Amino acid sequence: MFDFSVVSSWIHQFLTSVMPEGLAIFLECLVVGVCILAAYAVIAMILIYMERKICAWFQCRIGPDRVGKFGLLQLFADVIKMLIKEIVELKNTDKFLHALAPYIVILSSILAFACLPINKGMEILDFNIGVVFLVAVSSLGVIGILLAGWSSNSKYTMIGAMRSGAQIISYELSIGMCLLAVAIFTGTLQFSEIVAFQADGWLIFKGHIPAVIAFIVYLIAGNAETNRGPFDMPEAESELTAGYHTEYSGMHFGFFYLSEYLNMFIIAGVAATIFLGGWMPLHISGLEGFNAIMDYIPGFVWFFGKAFFVVFLLMWMRWTFVRLRIDQLLKFEWKILLPIGLFNLVLMILVVVFKLHF
Amino acid sequence: MNNFCKYFDSFFRGLKTLLVGLKTTIKVFFRKKITEKYPENRATLKISDRFRGTLTMPHDENNQHNCVACGLCQNACPNGTITVHFETVENEEGKKTKVLTNYEYDLGTCIFCQLCVNACPHNAITFENSFEHAVFNREKLVKKLNRDGSTVVNKK
Amino acid sequence: MDLKKRILEIAPETQFVEQGDIKAIVPSSSFYALAKKLKEDEDTSFDFLLSLTGMDFGDSLGVIYHLESTKYGHTCVLQTSTTNRENPELYSVCDLWKTANFNEREVYDFFGIRFINHPDMRRLFLRDEWNGYPFRKDYDMDSNPLNMTNEVTEDKTTELTIDAEGNVIEKENTLFDDKEYVINIGPQHPSTHGVLRFRTSLQGEIIKKIEPYCGYIHRGIEKMNENLTYPQTLALTDRLDYLSAHQNRHALCMLIEKALGVEIPERVQYIRTIMDELQRIDSHILFYSCLAMDMGAITPFTYGFRDREMILDIFEQTTGGRLIQNYNVVGGVQADIHPDFVNSVKKFIPYFRNILKEYHDIFTGNVIVHQRLKGVGVLSKEDAISFGTTGGTGRASGWACDTRKRKPYAMYDKVDFKEIVYTEGDSFARYMVRMDEMLESMKIIEQLIDNIPEGAYQVKMKPIIKVPEGSYFTSVESSRGEFGVFLESKGDKYPYRLKYRSTGLPLVAAVDTITKGGKIADLIAIGGTLDYVIPDIDR
Repeated sequence: MFDFSVVSSWIHQFLTSVMPEGLAIFLECLVVGVCILAAYAVIAMILIYMERKICAWFQCRIGPDRVGKFGLLQLFADVIKMLIKEIVELKNTDKFLHALAPYIVILSSILAFACLPINKGMEILDFNIGVVFLVAVSSLGVIGILLAGWSSNSKYTMIGAMRSGAQIISYELSIGMCLLAVAIFTGTLQFSEIVAFQADGWLIFKGHIPAVIAFIVYLIAGNAETNRGPFDMPEAESELTAGYHTEYSGMHFGFFYLSEYLNMFIIAGVAATIFLGGWMPLHISGLEGFNAIMDYIPGFVWFFGKAFFVVFLLMWMRWTFVRLRIDQLLKFEWKILLPIGLFNLVLMILVVVFKLHF
Repeated sequence: MNNFCKYFDSFFRGLKTLLVGLKTTIKVFFRKKITEKYPENRATLKISDRFRGTLTMPHDENNQHNCVACGLCQNACPNGTITVHFETVENEEGKKTKVLTNYEYDLGTCIFCQLCVNACPHNAITFENSFEHAVFNREKLVKKLNRDGSTVVNKK
Repeated sequence: MDLKKRILEIAPETQFVEQGDIKAIVPSSSFYALAKKLKEDEDTSFDFLLSLTGMDFGDSLGVIYHLESTKYGHTCVLQTSTTNRENPELYSVCDLWKTANFNEREVYDFFGIRFINHPDMRRLFLRDEWNGYPFRKDYDMDSNPLNMTNEVTEDKTTELTIDAEGNVIEKENTLFDDKEYVINIGPQHPSTHGVLRFRTSLQGEIIKKIEPYCGYIHRGIEKMNENLTYPQTLALTDRLDYLSAHQNRHALCMLIEKALGVEIPERVQYIRTIMDELQRIDSHILFYSCLAMDMGAITPFTYGFRDREMILDIFEQTTGGRLIQNYNVVGGVQADIHPDFVNSVKKFIPYFRNILKEYHDIFTGNVIVHQRLKGVGVLSKEDAISFGTTGGTGRASGWACDTRKRKPYAMYDKVDFKEIVYTEGDSFARYMVRMDEMLESMKIIEQLIDNIPEGAYQVKMKPIIKVPEGSYFTSVESSRGEFGVFLESKGDKYPYRLKYRSTGLPLVAAVDTITKGGKIADLIAIGGTLDYVIPDIDR
């Protein structure tokens, strides 16, 4: 298995040999930051293209195919369009907060994105409380959404923002429950260690029933976290036109748009990391030859493969179901999802205590 | 206990309906797509011969049409789309007849009701299939249907 | 029971006119008492106001009421008028029939007749500052140049009441007060299905009151008709409710044929019935698609459009039009059916039967859909009749109001089909009525398609059609309710007054009642299940 830390430590040694350590670390931070932003943008474009194609196929259409072969240049066309659009300033809005809101949203999503371990030795933010950190930063986004809704001085955005606040705060609980179950099982809150724990089998296999329940609950709650259908209440285009970002245009709208897709990827990435073994290849005990072949596939391929598989599941749900109503949405969380999460937590404890796992 | 059972029953039944929905969409996912690639498929595009695209005045190989400039179509039109310009000429026998000079048809106001075609006693006008009408200004939508130098078919 | 005698008992000054349909002319002073009695008496019980038409008779202004009893099925036509053209005032019947509320506002808008005791005497379609009343025969067409200013939305409205001395006094009513949180849903909104505007007063997410504003696509089709010959008026019917284009035109053709006493060949009746039913399936598929889209599921929407395309192709093949078909003409149909027509219909029906199961799998069975639609937006049977919400909406409330059964026309008395009636009255019932109706429509088509008799597809008509003097009313079951046409003819080649009974106006009038206490999301779902079409409301 290829270990990326070989590369990073080589770069570190090379830099410290030609400059003082402080400057070297500063430079490394800069490079890593640029890499994160670039990866962020690239993944967002891939996701947008993927969503367009997949949604089209679900709907008996062929999707974009006009710009470039198979519409591949469509994503660049989209990005360019978004970049050159005018950012409209509205009367009677709180201009500062109105401009600030998209940056808060995108910042929280970039921070959460940085937590994902993409390959062995390729963790960017990796603390012993990594899971808690991820939950904390990803919930910062709701502040941006509330600000966007409030500062736009429009009744539609206000209702959208209020819905969003209620929704995200509620569903955070379920996500917490699922992550907690995993933490109990693995005994750690550090992403790299959670992945390492799964070296001899993915958690969804090792933890069997409680892990599967946690996985499903996590997907549903995660879908709601990212304001995607059938939980797209805050946007609800047929009710509130576009919800909290109705009054945004140009790249400010683009930030909301990007962060929505990236949040989906983060949810999928976290699900892949903690349930599907992250960058760990598929190993079946007993089949040494098979395992060896699997080991040749680099870790980041495994990670992205799993993450995009989960993204596909999320899109499948998105393009099948009808939107819920806000009260039903909250009822669903508090009366169904959260009890299941709590029950699952107890189940997981029993499994761990009595060593019923594989 | 009864409530408890009901809770689980409704939960699992609900779950099943959701799975049925997911099954339906994934079936369509792998089905043949129905999108028509319009400008490329012009050659194979199937349009009914009765489709009312635009009004035309058929001319035969001698550049002759059937219009006697009677103006019935103009009267039948609910929208004032048709204006028949004619001049009155005297023929050899000294009888005055109308001769069509310009059959003006405004595609922009036409509502394709077919009343003009119904009203025409000589089948001089008909609807044809062409539907690509986009132009850059409205003046271009006003069309002259009779060709330059065309004459009316002589009826025996 | 002799209705004539009954009416004379209550209002002895009534005169009867027997040109076309029998009409009772009632003096305005005794009209309200007569209407109240006719509605409330057990043996008459005229509980359904089918149509309310304003008229300018030249010397007087008046209103014509078409009443029907849902209990006995009998009908009557009342007419009342006032000679005061300066300040015409009549008594309102909106406390008897709720549908009169919007209809009287329409009459006020077009004729300037003010209704006493009407709680909300504002214009319905035109702008508040419109000069004059356009449907009066002496209206100056140039009196309203294009207005370049925005319309101010008033929160106040006037009501005319009678004080103790019998004088008419004006009272001011408030629609929304300053403290209410009012949002505009529409006129440009993704799920009002066109340019309709709901001013919605909210308390959080809960709807307190809705005030519909119509007229954004008002084209004055009825006014235009007064200057068109009868064949020309046909061209505009397709543009009212474009999803019932064929049925609308059928109604007007039937009316003119009835007035002229033309016998229609059986082949034409078959073709018209099949086309009507195809149109109904087309409309209901669109209903399904749009409801799904309103509720956030875009995939069923595309499925619906995929299959609707096949019907449109069938239409195009025979009629030459997809949405606007122009197929019915007075005395028959425009052209004979396409040689391939029978085949393509027979190919479509089994395909659609099959695919309909998929519709149910993805949408109807879905637990979220049940949550969103069941028990939401309940309209009671009494309200449905009072508002006159015919069609699927009425049948979902348990009111068997299918015109095809009540007043059979074309081939409907000879085919076997079930009238779909649900009793719940909620959004889900409204949805299911339409889904089941598609099956019934297919059943009707299957019974007819193989037996289309040979014969002429058109009766030769005179080049200029003149309808004998009198007033006539015909109705058909369009895709979304009873579509009626009222014609007042003076024997000219132009109609004196042609009025269409809108199928959508009662639905919009009922929105406030249905949505009260619901959430914004419910309003969208209710709007979707009511299935109104804006050009039909605004005309």
